[in-house]
Parts: sequence; C-alpha cells; structure tokens
Amino acid sequence: MRRMLLAAAVAAAGLAGQQFKLGSKVGDFSLKDVKGNPVSFAALKGQATVVGFIATQCPVSNAYNERMTALYKDYAPRGVKFVFINSNRTEPAAEVAEHATKNGFPFAVFKDDDNLVADRFGAQFTPEVFVLDKDGVIRYHGAIDDSQVAARVKSPHLRQTLDGMLAGQGVATAETKAFGCTIKRVKKAA
Amino acid sequence: MRRRDLLASLWAVARLAAQGRPAPVDEAGYRKLLEAGRGQILLVDFWATWCEPCRAEMPQLVALEARYRGRGLKLIAVSCDEPEQEAAAVRFLQQHQVRGPSYIKRASSDEKFITAVDAAWSGALPALFLYDRRGRKLRSFIGETDMGALETAIRKVF
Repeated sequence: MRRMLLAAAVAAAGLAGQQFKLGSKVGDFSLKDVKGNPVSFAALKGQATVVGFIATQCPVSNAYNERMTALYKDYAPRGVKFVFINSNRTEPAAEVAEHATKNGFPFAVFKDDDNLVADRFGAQFTPEVFVLDKDGVIRYHGAIDDSQVAARVKSPHLRQTLDGMLAGQGVATAETKAFGCTIKRVKKAA
Repeated sequence: MRRRDLLASLWAVARLAAQGRPAPVDEAGYRKLLEAGRGQILLVDFWATWCEPCRAEMPQLVALEARYRGRGLKLIAVSCDEPEQEAAAVRFLQQHQVRGPSYIKRASSDEKFITAVDAAWSGALPALFLYDRRGRKLRSFIGETDMGALETAIRKVF
C-alpha cells in the first residue's frame, strides 16, 4: 500500500512538472510550433542543446537577434541543436512567427503556452539560455554574453560553454547573470 | 574617514541630482546608499528605459512614495540603462517627477552588481527591494509588481 502511494505521488509530481535544476537531467516537455502543432522536446534535442527563452518586444532580447543568428550559423553545423522559446503571454504565436520572419531567423521559435516550460526551467528573463549535454543534463544557465551592446562583449559565455563542451573539456562557468526583461507569465488565481 | 567618504558621496549625488542627472553607482556605491538611508524605509526600484513594465509602474511608485513619505518611505530609482540610454533615462525621470535620489548603474560587471544587490536576483526587470529603517532587506518584488501586495508590505514596516 505504501509503495502504491509513493508511486502515485511520483506520478502526480511528473504530471505537475518537476523543476529542472543546473546539473540535473531535463525530462521531456511539450512546446507548440507557431502554427499550433505540438512538438516534443525529445524530437528537438541533440548532442548539445541550447534552450533559449526570447521575446519579440523586449529590446534586450532584440539586441541579441543578430548574435543568436550568428550562434546558430556557427554551431548548428557542429551538431548543436537550438530550441528557442517564447513564453510571454503578451506575445501570441502569430506575432512570434512574424518577428522570426522579419528578423530572418534561420531557426524555429516555439511557443510555450501558459509558460509551463519557463516554469520548469525556472527561466526568469529574456534572453536567458540553458545548455544541455547529450544526456540532457543542464551544464550552463544564464546570459548569452556579458553586454547588451555587442561591441562591448568581453566574455561570450554561450560560445565559451559550447566550445568547451564540443572539445570535451567541460564547462568553465556554469551560471551567469545579466539584466533582461521579465518573462510575462500568465496571471495565476490567488 | 568612513564618514567623510559617505558625506563626499552624498555631496556628489546631490550635485548630480541638482543637474537632473542620476549618480553612477556600483557595488560599493550601492552599499553606501543603503547606509545613507538608515532611519528611513527604502524602496529601491531597479528600472530601465527599455523595460516597458518599469516605465508603466514608475508613476504608481512615485504616488506610493508621496502617500507614505511622511511616515519615512523613500523611493530610490536605479536605472540599469547603458550609457547610450542615459539621456532618455534623465528625460523619463524628469517627466515623471521622481523626487528621490536617482542612480544609474555603472558597474564593471553587471553580474557582480546584480549579485551584490541580491544573490537570488537573476537580473530580470522590474525589480524592487524594500529595506527597513535598519537597512535590512525585507522583501523583493521581481517582475510586474502587484501594487497592492507592495503597499501591504510597506504598511507592515511602519
């Protein structure tokens, strides 16, 4: 009986969605493409995977549009998968699609309805990235680099992380911080 | 010497404020401004011109301070704008008649600055921190602020 209760509790926790932590493995989750079709994260991940929370209206996120495109062009051919996600309640799928087209993104941007995925990652701002290794373990969390102004970047955190992982040297800095726009979450009933 | 440093930095802040400009602040400067605010209830608002909810909330924060100023509440605005946006930040502060001292972050590392303010803060804006008269951090409000909850937290300090 006790074992059954424990199994039920574990199943319930799985349904609610346990929060992913730095250094621990990410379970599967579901996103939607901009046409509303469900997509499983399992079908998107690779040897190394960048999960990035971005926005259409956040000027900080938009300051990184060209840098995100350059990252994709430099690292996708080396086997890195990119999963860009928009979790903002204020930015519908049609706007996300239009923004991606307007900015010439070579990658897909997925919608995270009700910010369920942002909640599981504990993502707070845009742009904010998580890097997962081949086993789905979060190896890096934080900023793409250390300056909103591309010309003032001294530490390209995400590039350094990917270079280290691809070279099999591990990750030098696991977590960084930067100023960004809060993810606009759905209002929850009190 | 420490007191002399504090007075010098307060004088510099007052001089810039008279010119309508926010004073630059880094980790050490932030500690000093908290020290200088002992005896008052401080509501420190980290905002930026690029942060839409920050701009939307500022008039409400100014009104909140006006309502409780007599009971010791002081609003301190810290702009997280880059140098290129400082002029826009000054215009915004003037437009919204932000009376308290205002600052603009000029830290060598945003990451270190964010962590010095609050180790648990990711850097997401808007971010508000409420300090009691002894300079102890009581609450943080990260993201779009529930003004009712903020006012309740302030009233509990009196």
